[in-house]
Amino acid sequence: MTPTRKKRLTVVLLILLGVSVAAAIAMTALQENLLYFLSPSEVAEQQMPTGRQFRLGGLVKEGSVNRATDSLKIRFRVTDGLKEVEIHYDDILPDLFREGQGIIAIGSLDNNRVFQADEVLAKHDEEYMAPEVADALQKAGHPRASKDSTSVAPSEYKP
Amino acid sequence: MNPVMKFLHKTGSPAYFYWLSGRIIPWLWVVFAVLTTWGLYQAFFVAPSDYQQGESYRIIYIHVPAAWLSMMIYLMMAIFGAIGLIWRIRIAEILAISSAPIGAAFALIALITGAVWGKPTWGTYWVWDARLTSQLVLFFLYLGVMGLHSAIDEPRKAARAAAMLALVGVVNLPIIHYSVEWWNTLHQGTTIKIIGESKMPSSMLFPLLLMAVATKFYFGAALLSRARNRLLDQDRRRGWVAKSIREQRL
Amino acid sequence: MNAFFSLLKRDLLLAVRSRAEALQPLFFLLVVVTLFPLGLGPGPALLAKIAVGVIWIAALLASTLSLDKLFRADFEDGSLEQFLTSGHSLSLLALAKIIAHWLSTGLPIVLFSPLLAIWLNLPHEALPVLVKSLLLGTPIFSLIGAIGAALTVGLRQGGQLLALLIFPLLIPVLILATGAVSAATDNLESSAYLLWMAAYAVLMLTLAPFACAASLRISLS
Repeated sequence: MTPTRKKRLTVVLLILLGVSVAAAIAMTALQENLLYFLSPSEVAEQQMPTGRQFRLGGLVKEGSVNRATDSLKIRFRVTDGLKEVEIHYDDILPDLFREGQGIIAIGSLDNNRVFQADEVLAKHDEEYMAPEVADALQKAGHPRASKDSTSVAPSEYKP
Repeated sequence: MNPVMKFLHKTGSPAYFYWLSGRIIPWLWVVFAVLTTWGLYQAFFVAPSDYQQGESYRIIYIHVPAAWLSMMIYLMMAIFGAIGLIWRIRIAEILAISSAPIGAAFALIALITGAVWGKPTWGTYWVWDARLTSQLVLFFLYLGVMGLHSAIDEPRKAARAAAMLALVGVVNLPIIHYSVEWWNTLHQGTTIKIIGESKMPSSMLFPLLLMAVATKFYFGAALLSRARNRLLDQDRRRGWVAKSIREQRL
Repeated sequence: MNAFFSLLKRDLLLAVRSRAEALQPLFFLLVVVTLFPLGLGPGPALLAKIAVGVIWIAALLASTLSLDKLFRADFEDGSLEQFLTSGHSLSLLALAKIIAHWLSTGLPIVLFSPLLAIWLNLPHEALPVLVKSLLLGTPIFSLIGAIGAALTVGLRQGGQLLALLIFPLLIPVLILATGAVSAATDNLESSAYLLWMAAYAVLMLTLAPFACAASLRISLS
């Protein structure tokens, strides 16, 4: 092998080595459980201590929203189908907040295991359909069409 | 010489490229005009209105093809750049740098139409939505390529430096895209997807596809026109230009 | 390999001999971070919330500031041309310069970050993750930044152009790092973010020296 060839081969091998090490680390990263939030079940499982800040995610339970008449205070429960957590919040809610909607709350548990939220975020809707179709689906009792959401993320759609 | 290299070198000759692109450009414009007229007609008169957003959703027929095209152009720019850098083919370098302003323009169109669409749907012109943010970053990447190109006086060197930057950008683009998506999930809470994948009926989709194809033809025509002008400007004192004028091919 | 170590040694020596200049990025970082409590008010809750972002953005600015000078002196006195014609691998020489840059600017930033974290009232749980994220992220700044520095070397308006070129490319680092630290603040697992950063750092360590060498060749042609 000529020296130039040898050098080229070394370079190629080095690049291959580097890329495969990077890929191996990335594979490990993929296997790590990346959590944006804890679900109510995980909160119950982990015995989350009181007063520590974390993000709680889940669906707002139908019929659980309880608003105060004279202030912004609101109480509701989020569920993941198995467990529920009571949330208290005292600020302006996002427009998309409604029963059955997915939300993420940031805050901590108090001594009564009630989640005191400092911030509540809502999820966008990603559906596009003609009004007639939506009506038809609603008549047929399709759960997706029952949402009366008016806000849709402009650039969120996949054909 | 293998057929690929033969093709590259033949089309890479300035005179041949100039002649060939001159023949192709009119056809690209014609196809673009036909498809755009048809697509816009379908989009504004045939496609139904949306069940939630009414008429305002129709801006996707501009917004989405522009966004797609701006991403495709970056990839094309990097491919032309790589060909130019590896085989030192000047036409490829010129095509790469000529792609940048078109890509930047479409990225800007996607951003502006996104903002205009955001007003009726979100109630605000700008939201740090993942896709809008990615688009903004893409726009900045184009600005970087154009900025570097204009900062270097010597045309050949400028084109090669810009091509190199485009290549570095294209390696990082997927990483940027996914990290922005992640960041967005972190901050806006779009992850809870217990129900549903998104859908679009074919009557809404068809005009979108028409527009997507139409914009590609626009890109082809605009790119070739820009590349021809740049080539002619750089080569104005070269022999082939004088020869082509004599033979009345310009 | 000998050339690699001599260049590394030379650059480090230069940094040590001209301490005032070498420490500039660090002072810049400290001053920028100080401006935030002064501009936004000293409320501990607010500071804790913005701490990660402020530290990281300040680190990004400080690194970029010094990157502009990475190849400049060598370009002006002709050493860069000599590297090119010396027959040594230009990628290896570029890597030596990158490592020297990280040791003289990135590492001090990492070492001083606990101080900044205390100033900005970052929760204690998040501190180890902040240090780890900086340890993984600042080398990426040096690696990607060196490509930009190689492309802009010898240009009049180098500094601002360099920022325009590399800031968009550094967004993933910023996102992953702040994601890791805020996950740690919210008592969530942050190792996935750090692993992604590590993968990115290794990928850039593999590719950036070659891209940097190619860019230098273009700039010197």
